[in-house]
Amino acid sequence: MKIKILQISERYARFEIEGIDYAYANMIRRTLINDIPKLAIKNVTFHLGSIRKVEEDGKAKVYNSSTPLFNEIISHRIGLIPLKTDLNMKFRNECDHPADQACPLCTVNYTLTKFGPGIVYSGDLMPIGDEKFAPVDPNIPIVKLDENQALVIDAEAIMGTGREHARWQVTSGVAYKVHREFRIPKYLEIIDLIRKDCKANIISDEGDVMIITDDIPCRHIAKLYRMDEVKMEEDESRFIFQFETDGSLSAKETLKFAIKRLRTRLDRIRDSVVV
Amino acid sequence: MMMPVRCFSCGRVIITDYIRFQENVEKIRREKNREPTSDEIDQIFSDLGVNRYCCRRMIISHVDLIDDVIGFD
Repeated sequence: MKIKILQISERYARFEIEGIDYAYANMIRRTLINDIPKLAIKNVTFHLGSIRKVEEDGKAKVYNSSTPLFNEIISHRIGLIPLKTDLNMKFRNECDHPADQACPLCTVNYTLTKFGPGIVYSGDLMPIGDEKFAPVDPNIPIVKLDENQALVIDAEAIMGTGREHARWQVTSGVAYKVHREFRIPKYLEIIDLIRKDCKANIISDEGDVMIITDDIPCRHIAKLYRMDEVKMEEDESRFIFQFETDGSLSAKETLKFAIKRLRTRLDRIRDSVVV
Repeated sequence: MMMPVRCFSCGRVIITDYIRFQENVEKIRREKNREPTSDEIDQIFSDLGVNRYCCRRMIISHVDLIDDVIGFD
């Protein structure tokens, strides 16, 4: 088995694995989707009733805690905000205390206080304690407040995996495809377009046929499927994967963890087989 | 109401893309004094990195109604 990284950035990865079959490829895909732990807000406590604030002129003003959206919708939106994750944190049920208690190893608390009018952004969500757990993107709107409205929230974030709820899903758009090669006779007009726009896709440009691959996205490739003169070959042992993350973990961390996680998943199957 | 935080189908955080998409559309309206063409919208999505059609339909079909309901708290 050989892994080749084709493209990697903070939130996106594209890589090729050679010498595996569909079953193995799908195993990697499913691990990437639902078995990467990440931090997300699970419990939100709203302050209900009136909220007093001393204004700049020294007078106390009373704000209302009612908002345009239902509290359930607000807490759902808060849950979906990606938070920077430390993979050394524990799941709550694997921590040393009973599952209904919390400790700094498994829980991060957040507060949010915002007075209207204005939009409440994810940047207003302040972690209690370490600043590194702040939301990845501070510009996610949560709710819009009118005059005399205020939002005071306590929130609790725990680790979880994507199989439980979408808020713990690190990756999106996880997909794989097999390596394909197209043999294009050189009398076709599309040759010039490919030479111009898809240079990286060309494997060989000698003789009567040009050989190209669709491992890298290229806008002319869709046309090739409809041409009878073009011959396509699939290599079902080379798989090209791609996925993107929501920023809570980098693409590199995610891939590393997924491959490490595969081994424990397979070990669990082996251990549970009774001979 | 408000734009959903994530894409319903794939889970990508699209709300920040929606804000940037709106800025770009407004820019075209202001500079060229017309609605953007479908090719221009396609180009905006590609520049933002919104490549899948599930995320694109989230942004393109959204109607922001929060300002209409804000009076009914």
